Amino acid sequence: MALFIYGTATNTGKGFFTAEDRRNFFLRGFPGNVWVVGNSEKGALWLAEKNGVEKTKAEAQAIVTAEVTAAQAAWDALPDEQKNRPGFNQRPTAITLP
Amino acid sequence: MTTYNELAGLRVNYVSSDPTLNTGNEGQVWYNSTTGTLRSLVQLKAWSAAGNLPVAKNEAASDGTTTAGWTAGGSNTPAANTGLNTTEEYSGYTWASGGNLNTARTGLGGSGFGTQTAAAVSGGFTQGPSGPTRVMFANTEEYNGSAWTSVTSMPTSLSNVAQCGIQTAGLSFGGGSGYALPSVATTLEYDGTNWTSGGNLNTAAVYQAAGIQTAALGMLANDTTGKGTEAYNGSTWTAVANRNTGRAQIVGFGTQALATIAGGYSAGPGSPQFTETEQWDGTAWSISPATLGTATRTGMGIGTQGSGTSGLLAGGFSTNYLADTQEFNSTIFSPATGAWASGGNLNTARSSLAGAGTQTASLAFGGYNGTANVTSSESYNGTSWTNTPSINTARREIQGEGTQTAALGFGGYTTTQSAATESWNGSSWTSVNSMNTARNGLAGAGTQTAGLAFGGFTTANTGATESWNGTSWTTLPASMNTARRGLGGVGTQTAALAFGGFTTAASNATESWNGTSWTTLPASMGTARYGVAGAGIQTAAIIMGGAAPGLGPLTITELWDGTNWTSVPPMANAKDNRVGSGTQTAALAAGGSPNTAATEEWTGTPSTGTASTLTTS
Repeated sequence: MALFIYGTATNTGKGFFTAEDRRNFFLRGFPGNVWVVGNSEKGALWLAEKNGVEKTKAEAQAIVTAEVTAAQAAWDALPDEQKNRPGFNQRPTAITLP
Repeated sequence: MTTYNELAGLRVNYVSSDPTLNTGNEGQVWYNSTTGTLRSLVQLKAWSAAGNLPVAKNEAASDGTTTAGWTAGGSNTPAANTGLNTTEEYSGYTWASGGNLNTARTGLGGSGFGTQTAAAVSGGFTQGPSGPTRVMFANTEEYNGSAWTSVTSMPTSLSNVAQCGIQTAGLSFGGGSGYALPSVATTLEYDGTNWTSGGNLNTAAVYQAAGIQTAALGMLANDTTGKGTEAYNGSTWTAVANRNTGRAQIVGFGTQALATIAGGYSAGPGSPQFTETEQWDGTAWSISPATLGTATRTGMGIGTQGSGTSGLLAGGFSTNYLADTQEFNSTIFSPATGAWASGGNLNTARSSLAGAGTQTASLAFGGYNGTANVTSSESYNGTSWTNTPSINTARREIQGEGTQTAALGFGGYTTTQSAATESWNGSSWTSVNSMNTARNGLAGAGTQTAGLAFGGFTTANTGATESWNGTSWTTLPASMNTARRGLGGVGTQTAALAFGGFTTAASNATESWNGTSWTTLPASMGTARYGVAGAGIQTAAIIMGGAAPGLGPLTITELWDGTNWTSVPPMANAKDNRVGSGTQTAALAAGGSPNTAATEEWTGTPSTGTASTLTTS
């Protein structure tokens, strides 16, 4: 059985995920409103309650990669003096979903 | 009579208050003249609540450690023990589902050996509503962290066979041979391929196991009057000291030299379950002051792969099947714990912003929205952010201090380093006297009228420290020991803490400020990082997220107790250059990079040491 459920859901702010949710299942947010959720009854229920759209891992990864690629392009377009600042405003790094 | 002086080479300290309760004072004895008591700081043994199993169950196989545990199989059907095939993996904070067993089964209490990525389980049973329909298994399966594979079966079908060791050097002993049939005394050793016979137990029974293949401990677990314990040396079992309380369906974990059992019942199914815990020190059992939060039997013990000082009791049965996980620790500190929850989203998504205030009354201002510096300022009421009048100078990597209604913003980066300072009175920002050293990526501490600025970047990293008196900045003679940028800071003008940052690499250094000088502290953060957010005071702080080369943005959270950093449950979103506010137990982190409007709220319980009063009874 897969370890995680993948989906997109919009973070609506307060109450979107609770401390109890965090104790009950794995939950990690990624660019593109992608959420990786522990594959359990409570995790699946959380994604459904948040009007989440379940994705395959490949689909979720594609969304994240597209977001990161766009962010990298925006960063690449910055003037050099904005980019050569180690420790600040680093070029977005590729993300591999768990 | 032997005195403490003769034993420890020291006299008992005579003090008016207890010393700092940290590891440096573990085992020390002192006389508190205020309370008139002889006091000491000794190990605490305590159970605490941990993350819940995704499914309530009992009688599953289990092993691993408190940060990498696993359970497999088990039951949660009261009418028929048809058995489960699910696997659950514990990360130290939460459970996730793993690969399914090929053979669904229960009757695995005490069974299972190995780590989360190299485990094995054998035996068990399924049965219908009536006992005689029980089907016993000899099946062995190995787990690689994602899937179970059927391998060589045990020579005999057994349920609840006690198991310990690793996947390539496992030990199985005792167990049940079938419904209403006697237990066995046999021992089997597993080499990763084959099962061979080991020495027989002195008492045929169902046991819980601790230790390894060549140094195991068997703890009697199916006799409500029995208390027996046996030790194995790789070839022979020897009966050793009995436990204090006879009970069945306990859980156990640990090593041959340091083991723990808990829970169970003493008078048959339907009788109340125990919360009582006993600990084995290699020679004798003693009843621990630690008691389970939830009385249970037939739970799953995890911790035999560890040192014996900690373990988990997952699931089990009380009046119904349980999903609870309870964590045992033997330490001078109660464990730090807590959880992150989502807060209201910022109106302007941004990173590298500054802030002030508390978790429920916070202010955020300035920053970078991914394409430009911003002036926007927002206030938080514990639920939502509301736009307030903007700061005068758009900038990122700015620093702030004070409260929601009386804040100070200073430094930062416009198109170059800034020394600008602005003061917030709850309704508007006013430009005031600038800092002496223009810089960005700095840290700060204190209030609107008594502030401190330190570290950051000019044309190079700086450790310069300036104090603010409500009107002007003064450069102080003492600089930080490690010049750095992107660091975190908390505290007051005269008692501050600096942590993390970037030198030529990510830093994990911690420095303490006493109003005059900086001292590098011996304890470093667990994860070196920059672009960190912090909250709290000099002796009780929290560090949230950040970034590290090669790792990117982080979710890692650590708590500072005045002496050490301790990892606690991570944030949901990996970000650096957030703003932090609040306290160690009620913190707020907003914004961050990659650019976001998200806010997370931390509610935590810090690690605390508790001094014990020594008595003559």
